[in-house]
Amino acid sequence: MKLETNAILLLVVVAVFMFLGSYFTMVVPLMDARLNAPSKDARPYTELEMKGRHVYQKEGCVYCHTQQVRNLLEETQRYGMGEEETFKRFGIRALIQAPPSQPGEFAYDQPHFLGTRRVGPDLARVGGKYDNTWHINHLRDPRSTSPGSLMPAYSWLFDKASQPTPDAIALVAYIQKLGTNYKWREEGVEQARKLQGISAALPFKEGKQ
Amino acid sequence: MEQHEDKSARWFMYTSVLFFLVTILIGLIMSIRFIAPEFLGGIASLSHGRIRAIHTNGVLFGWLLAADMGLCYYLVPRLAGVRLFSEKLGMATLGLWVVIILGAVVTLGIGDTQGKEYLELDMALDILVTIAWVMFAINIFATIARRKYENMYASLWYVMGTILWTAILWIVANLPVYAGVNDANVNWWFGHNAVGLIFTPVGLAIAYYFIPKATGNPLYSHKLSLIGFWTIAFLYIWNGAHHILFGPIPTWLQTVAILFSISLLIPVWTAVTNFYGTMRGKWAQANTVVKFFLAGTTFYLLTCFQGPMHSLRTVNQIVSKTDWIVGHAHMAVFGAFSFFAMGGIYFSLPRMLKRPVFSEKLAEWHFWLSFVGFLGFAISLWIGGFVQGLQWMDYRISFLDTVKAMFPYYLVRMFSAILMVAAQLMFAYNVLRTARGNGHAPAAPAVA
Ligand code: HEC
Repeated sequence: MKLETNAILLLVVVAVFMFLGSYFTMVVPLMDARLNAPSKDARPYTELEMKGRHVYQKEGCVYCHTQQVRNLLEETQRYGMGEEETFKRFGIRALIQAPPSQPGEFAYDQPHFLGTRRVGPDLARVGGKYDNTWHINHLRDPRSTSPGSLMPAYSWLFDKASQPTPDAIALVAYIQKLGTNYKWREEGVEQARKLQGISAALPFKEGKQ
Repeated sequence: MEQHEDKSARWFMYTSVLFFLVTILIGLIMSIRFIAPEFLGGIASLSHGRIRAIHTNGVLFGWLLAADMGLCYYLVPRLAGVRLFSEKLGMATLGLWVVIILGAVVTLGIGDTQGKEYLELDMALDILVTIAWVMFAINIFATIARRKYENMYASLWYVMGTILWTAILWIVANLPVYAGVNDANVNWWFGHNAVGLIFTPVGLAIAYYFIPKATGNPLYSHKLSLIGFWTIAFLYIWNGAHHILFGPIPTWLQTVAILFSISLLIPVWTAVTNFYGTMRGKWAQANTVVKFFLAGTTFYLLTCFQGPMHSLRTVNQIVSKTDWIVGHAHMAVFGAFSFFAMGGIYFSLPRMLKRPVFSEKLAEWHFWLSFVGFLGFAISLWIGGFVQGLQWMDYRISFLDTVKAMFPYYLVRMFSAILMVAAQLMFAYNVLRTARGNGHAPAAPAVA
């Protein structure tokens, strides 16, 4: 068989090879219900959040931010809540890890914003980390909230009086929704309280802390 | 000997060089922003999220693919021993291509994007790209169908493969039907193979054609080129998921991608052995064309060694999502395949115009500045990205501190980018002057 002299035969074999790999790595996952069905606590975006999602797409936030907490200890720690944060907000010192991203959380995402590059931090679990005012200030001038940040100032999302436009408000609503399908912050704090309550009630404490 | 008109080939090359200049300038603006984030601030269309898409699409489709198409219009008729099927069709394809690229700049500038890396272009432009590609395919296939020689040289298999792979990848990936993690999986099925099954095979077609021509040596091994081609055809398509390791996709899919990624060393090492082997004995007296292919081959070897290594879980854990990857991607697109295209242009342009390159010296400068600039660019990002990856592993280092720690690396990257842009200015000037023929009377048409 001389494939390299018969153009048509060559193209047919090339196409068959391409089909094989594509079938197993692309078509099979497409037919996998676990990858398509929303997880039980996922809810669709509201109209406002959807609008914010379009702004996120339009402004290309995806080129600097991923939206996937990878299944790695350092990521569940980094994108969870540190001890300072839990102390400031909940009066308790604990490291609360963020749950790694699950396929079912993304079912309503079209296009996906998983991303490939982290110039800034991952945003998959950022909802609830800051209040809306922080986000508005951050979008207006990232260096005011985060000195040394490389994020662009989104002046065109603000009007002449420096008030957020509807686009900016929608964007913040979208950001605040990210990663809040699981109530991991609240549940984590509650669990930590319980554990620390138990240890406080114990008669013997290890060392002096 | 067949007389070739080469109009489409030349004009595709000129246009691609022009687009290259523009898009690499945009790259420079982005690199300055990493030092001075307010640089050119306040203009929506120039913000990072918009011009990043213009930079990648511009470099991939405006420069590299257009240059590669031009080189195909040059080498396919010569390997077939007949004229190009239709110069008119070729020029019409170019016209459409220019419309697409300008359309891309405008739509991406106003934020009209599909939102997925390398698939940003609006649906209307996607359709135009498909039409342009079909026009290109008809021209190339019709030329091959009328060929004088029954045997087909390696470059022709690669060109034919590229045409088919590109068409399928482009159409399937742009269907607006995927959602969630499957959307990501399809995105990377496309993204990985945009390099693996578009720019790699057409780049190899170019190298397989020009390396023997430029060195005057016969191809080192026909058998190796066969092994390389069929392993590329079989192995590349399985790899997309290695871009989402540890992510929200099934573990089996990640493992399959890792196994196939490692097997990619086979096609790469066969091609590289073949190229080095063909160049043997010519390294010391290498002219500019050979230098581009020599360096390009070496970068191809290195980038395709990095690739499989990145897919190993332990390595991926550290380097994924860092600037390391940016260095890696530039080694493939700039270091390897752009170098091949530049070498091809320096070789073919004088032969089509039947007069020497305007300035050999300028071409040498172009090579060395590109080479040194690229090394500075990539090495700074590799070191910086690796440090960044290690810092991210300790959650007690705040993210902002890991951003600030990159400053020295970003500074070196910016200066390297200046060298890379300066080099391409020389390239464009040299091509322009060669095209206009200032100072050189056309020589006798000796070489074809
Ligand atoms: C040039 C890259 C870049 C772009 C584009 C960018 N960001 Fe950022 N972003 C950063 C960096 C760097 C940080 C970390 C420092 C900081 O807090 O500003 C960050 C931080 C953030 C944070 C805080 C995350 C946290 O956990 O502290 C949010 C929220 C955010 N960005 C949202 C956005 C949105 C929304 C967009 C698009 C409108 C966007 N970013 C575009 C670079 C970028």
